[in-house]
Amino acid sequence: MNRSSVLERLQSVCDDVFLDPVIVTPELSAKDVPEWDSLLHISLTLAVEKNFGVRFGMGEVEATRNLGEFADLILRKLPK
Amino acid sequence: MSIVPFTLSATGALKQLLADGDPRFFDLLQQQTLAATGFAEMAALSTLRKRARHQSMKMETAPRALRLAIVGGCSLYPLQELVQHCLEAAGYPAGQKVDIFTGAYDNYVAEVMLPESSLYEFRPDVIVLIPSDTRCSYAGQLFDSREQQEAQAFRLAFDLLELCRTAHDRTRAEIILANFALPAAFDPGPYRTRTAASDWTFRKSVNLELGLGAPSFVHLCDVEFLSARRGTLAVHDARAWFESKQPYAADFLVDVAKEINHIVSGLRRNIKKLVVLDLDNTLWGGVIGDDGLEGIEIGDTSPRGEAFKAFQQYLKSLTKRGILLAVCSKNDRAKAVEPFEKHPEMALRMSDFVSFKANWEPKSENLRQIANELNLGLDSFVFVDDNPAEVDIVRQFVPEVETVLLTADPSDFITLLQDCRFFEPLNITPEDVHRGQQYQQEAQRKETLTACTDMAAYLGSLEMRAVITEFQGVDVPRIAQLINKSNQFNVTTRRRTESEVRAVIQDPSHIAFTVRLADRFGDHGLISVVICRIEGTVMEIDTWLMSCRVLKRQVEDEVVKEIVRLARDLDCNVIRGRYDPTSKNSMVRDLYPRMGFAAAGQVGDQLIFELGTAGCHSEQTAIQVMRRSYEQVVSA
Repeated sequence: MNRSSVLERLQSVCDDVFLDPVIVTPELSAKDVPEWDSLLHISLTLAVEKNFGVRFGMGEVEATRNLGEFADLILRKLPK
Repeated sequence: MSIVPFTLSATGALKQLLADGDPRFFDLLQQQTLAATGFAEMAALSTLRKRARHQSMKMETAPRALRLAIVGGCSLYPLQELVQHCLEAAGYPAGQKVDIFTGAYDNYVAEVMLPESSLYEFRPDVIVLIPSDTRCSYAGQLFDSREQQEAQAFRLAFDLLELCRTAHDRTRAEIILANFALPAAFDPGPYRTRTAASDWTFRKSVNLELGLGAPSFVHLCDVEFLSARRGTLAVHDARAWFESKQPYAADFLVDVAKEINHIVSGLRRNIKKLVVLDLDNTLWGGVIGDDGLEGIEIGDTSPRGEAFKAFQQYLKSLTKRGILLAVCSKNDRAKAVEPFEKHPEMALRMSDFVSFKANWEPKSENLRQIANELNLGLDSFVFVDDNPAEVDIVRQFVPEVETVLLTADPSDFITLLQDCRFFEPLNITPEDVHRGQQYQQEAQRKETLTACTDMAAYLGSLEMRAVITEFQGVDVPRIAQLINKSNQFNVTTRRRTESEVRAVIQDPSHIAFTVRLADRFGDHGLISVVICRIEGTVMEIDTWLMSCRVLKRQVEDEVVKEIVRLARDLDCNVIRGRYDPTSKNSMVRDLYPRMGFAAAGQVGDQLIFELGTAGCHSEQTAIQVMRRSYEQVVSA
């Protein structure tokens, strides 16, 4: 799996989690989406963990600044 | 409540209803909220609810917002969001608004102790307290004595309950106290069960003390139970604790929020008193009208029959908690009644039902009729049926009635009822229990008899109380009734009219008393009548009769003790009894000899017995005699 396929799959996760349509781009972050509050952030993290079968370490998700970096993090967690 | 299994895409239907401004949005939101088991689902539902509010969609609203405070030894966000959502979307009363106060992280002790804290400024109606798990550990040594370990568990529980008391005293708020989840980790191995110094056993002890010691304004949110139900591995999340001081894994927050809603809503909701049951494919398998008495599935001959029987036994057990049973079935009455009267494998019998409707009228009409007959509110009914169409009709036409839709598989039935959560009283009072027992007192008494092989222990366990009273005007009708109807336990079968009984009261040469008996199963009322005539120094027993319901309960012994006592008071030294045989009273042929009287001759058929009052028997019985109200009369 590469970055773009991860982003593609992130799109379908976001379709489930967000009520309003969100277009996933590497630059997208919480401040761009009004709906993306801390409650939704927890939901998104949990949904990604479930969907990709990964588990993030402490603080790892917080360190990412946008969906592109989030996708990189997911890639690092996926079995090689 | 029908439970729609939740998938995230199920929010699609809600989104559509929201977009259309369709008020059915709130019904679906309620259903899905009650069915949600995961954090993401609940969070999505919460967001939808807030949107609907923003769009100012019409929604019935309760007059006053509920003020709920959550304090605890953890971060209370996002738990408070979930609690607010559950209460507003699926709580009781429907449509209520909830104002939430969230305490600061691990600040609950100060918030409760300081009268000027922001908690009290908020003026909460309900306070939820989630104490710190990390401080619920034994502080001493592994090998401390059991007493030391138990004392510390007691102390910790006591302090928490005192904290609740302080909060309650200052606010009159109801307190919801979370108890402690048990650890999921293996450490320290099976040894955990052998010492209260392990977190496992210590927290169990603390939880036990909390439950047993909680005053009525404290409602336990039983986290120990909820976490066991979900599985403790899924409850603990160390990362969430270290990252953001979350007390539990995100999904388990949903369980706790739903439970808090259940408790808060239960504080104001009528409790359910009556289960109304369908018959075919509900209490037995098959259709009695088609399959007949021999064709229906009930009883231990097949697995399905066994499951139906177990369901009946479970329903019967509900009656012991004060819940009443009724039948509402589309059937010919004569056929519907048959299994209850004739089928040996039925656990339920006609006497278990307070109402039995088997006819072809709509069930909604029958339910209204049952409510009228029993003078119960429809909102105290739970309707149980395997037919979705019937359940739907009831939901539409009598929406006050809660419904449980059964499946095609009778092995699900008990669980469906046990998990419907309609029958959870805040407290079970003696009155609740009494309601159900009224119908079953005698049956239970007999069960106790078979349970105890030791008669003396059985009699002791009955906790019998007797009241012995001289004849009084108000009792005359009952006394006359017993005098004229008792045939078996009646030594002389001497009949008297009501006015003749009144004459006995007036006549100074007669002394007469009644015995009332009660036991822990109920009150038997006036069960024995004795009339004695005084002839110089002889006291002659003119009448002695007793209701057969209380045979072998030592009432006879108390009667003889009483006669002896009266005789001595009246300076009689001989008590004379007669046995006048009839076709029905042979059970008292040897009553006098059994009571220590000596044979003293025979006149015709009549046997005469005498007892000297000097040094005669006064054995202890299991009956506590509460009162002899004529004591003063005799000594005067």
